[in-house]
Amino acid sequence: MNDRAPLALSVEDLTVAYHSKPAIWDIDLGVPEGVLMAIVGPNGAGKSTLIKAVLNLIPRAAGRVSFYGSPYEQARSLVGYVPQRGSVDWDFPTSVLDVVTMGLYGKLGWLRRPGRRERDLALFALDQVGLLDLVDRQISQLSGGQQQRAFLARALVQDAQIYFMDEPFAAVDAITERAIVKILHQLKERGKTVLVVHHDLQTVEDYFDWVTLLNVEVVASGPAAVVFSPENLQKTYGGRVSYLHDGQVLAAGD
Amino acid sequence: MMALERWLIELLLHFAARDEINVFLRSPQNTATIIGCLIAVSGALLGTFLLLRGMALTSDAISHTVLLGIVVAFLLMTDVFGMVGDTSSPWLILGASLAGVGTVVLTELLYRSGLLRQDAALGLAFPLLFAIAVILVSRFAEDVHLDEDAVLVGEIGLAWANTNSHCFDNCATVTISPDHPQAKMARQCRNCRELGISPRDEGAEFVEICSNCGSYSPAQAWQAGYLQKEPSLVFFPKSITVTLIMTALSLLLALVFYKELKLTTFDPALAKALGFRPGVMNYALMILVSLVAVGAFDAVGSILVIAFFIIPPAAAYLLSDRLAVMLLLGPLIGAAGAFFGYDLARGKFFGFIEVGDIIAGLNSLFGLDLPEQWDSSISASMVLMIFIIFTLVWVLSPRYGLISTLIRRANQRRRFDDQVVLAHIHNHQFTDRHATELRVKTLHLHFRWTGRKMGRVLARLRALGLVAVVNGLAQLTARGETQVHAFRGAMLEAHNMPDID
Repeated sequence: MNDRAPLALSVEDLTVAYHSKPAIWDIDLGVPEGVLMAIVGPNGAGKSTLIKAVLNLIPRAAGRVSFYGSPYEQARSLVGYVPQRGSVDWDFPTSVLDVVTMGLYGKLGWLRRPGRRERDLALFALDQVGLLDLVDRQISQLSGGQQQRAFLARALVQDAQIYFMDEPFAAVDAITERAIVKILHQLKERGKTVLVVHHDLQTVEDYFDWVTLLNVEVVASGPAAVVFSPENLQKTYGGRVSYLHDGQVLAAGD
Repeated sequence: MMALERWLIELLLHFAARDEINVFLRSPQNTATIIGCLIAVSGALLGTFLLLRGMALTSDAISHTVLLGIVVAFLLMTDVFGMVGDTSSPWLILGASLAGVGTVVLTELLYRSGLLRQDAALGLAFPLLFAIAVILVSRFAEDVHLDEDAVLVGEIGLAWANTNSHCFDNCATVTISPDHPQAKMARQCRNCRELGISPRDEGAEFVEICSNCGSYSPAQAWQAGYLQKEPSLVFFPKSITVTLIMTALSLLLALVFYKELKLTTFDPALAKALGFRPGVMNYALMILVSLVAVGAFDAVGSILVIAFFIIPPAAAYLLSDRLAVMLLLGPLIGAAGAFFGYDLARGKFFGFIEVGDIIAGLNSLFGLDLPEQWDSSISASMVLMIFIIFTLVWVLSPRYGLISTLIRRANQRRRFDDQVVLAHIHNHQFTDRHATELRVKTLHLHFRWTGRKMGRVLARLRALGLVAVVNGLAQLTARGETQVHAFRGAMLEAHNMPDID
């Protein structure tokens, strides 16, 4: 990355507090366009909070966020969001196709109904995540991995420039994990920027080229090759990370 | 409201004669059924979203606290602005919807304080507002028709009697002034009471009082006998108008904002990220719930109305897994409940079984002496009937009903038993242990099953031609072999499916 590349996301002095206890503290973050970035940190480090605050879903105590230089309200159409799978009621009476179509509601705006064009776009996205056979299923009949892929398809139809994914790899099967990784790389090839809250330290370097280590404050942020070092992990997780001899991360305790 | 009624009546006059309309609307049954159905439709439409948002009990809270709005608006109208109190006035409806929104706001505030959970906050907010309302009613508004019975179960059976009259021909209004030939004048002592004297005593002063002066609408004038020619009148029950407006508004919300309501209900975070306003949608929904609650207040009371909100959507939820279908089925179920509920109150069960006959049967069977005449609360019977329909759905629903669930589980268990046995035979039949593993007499021991269960499963597998018994040993037939490959393949596929590359 050279320094002149536009910043897809720029966060300055962002602080969020729950009942006067800071959840994230004075976050400064610049994410260049076109990177696949993992947000890594222990439980309670504020990873989801960071995403939600950036997307204005929760109130900020302080700080400024801009997407390609514009505040969120003006950059909405540039942003795609994949919330945690557990954040919705999967017994909701709706089909897979319907859930994916919801990603297009933002473009439709108030009152306009989705039509054939939206249906085709949704089907295309479902094909990309390998759920084309299940489009008419009620969503509770999907496995956890399939639900995650449906959420991913919903973000894909938004055709955003920058994607935020909150733990897409949580409790999914290997097939889904492979599918998500493949999609991530496709997005990168198309010049999209993707920010992913990630838990599995072993795969960080394989899947991502950019890393932000977070523990209430930003410990380090930059290219994975530089930032994802034992020293920085030590700073992020405290003494709870054990290593193999060659410095590879074995496991991180919570 | 009057204009709307007039427009409706004019519409109806295309299809029926004036007398027919009057006769139809004067029937308590017709009026009560119409009102019940309208409440059911609007309640089920909004209730579907409440149910899916996990806010079923919010309708309970709102339907109670609207009383506060009604009472406060009533007191403001009569005591502060000196208007005539009328329980179907738009001001009361406005007050009620404010109270409904107030309940939601108060609950939110308590919840946001972080000291109470959502349910506790609701449980605290609405009894408080209801208690204030009850105190105000008993203290200031005793003589109004806001009595406890009406609050409890409403007066849907009397709705036909509370009408607006609309005149279409010979519409003479009459104004009686003191100099009118038909004015009834009387002399009244002005200062008798004050001085403690009788009108005959000296010093009594008199004033002329007109007992029937005022202006009369055509209907009133005809009734009082001031008109020679009968005006052609239509009497329209006010409750129908009120509930019709509520239903129209609910329909409008559900149709126009279907997409927005669906998104904010399913995934408020995404809705917010996409620029929709989940908060605004929520309050719009709450305002309408309040409006329906107050519109239904007169008819079915503040407790039974909850059933109209919640039970039909709950039944629809068991019948369909599409929101649009739920929004269609819920109102239908509610309306059917209201329709048959009236019959039930008058002693007929689904139109053909006489409740009286059942009671007579019970009486003769057990030697009881229950009264056979059956005449009960209409609103309560409607709720009971909605519940009966729910129970039927709960038991009989093809997909999520009790019976189909039991059958499905039994089938799954049976299929699983079959597969376990087939797989066992498959795994052992060409090994050197097959003589011990596959002996029919001892097969059940390997599974720790009873001999009877194994006998049943084997008999079924043999009948299906999947397993044959040769020399006392079980072995797969060619078909059985194919079957094993099929379900093992399917099982593996379920783990891998669908393939991405």
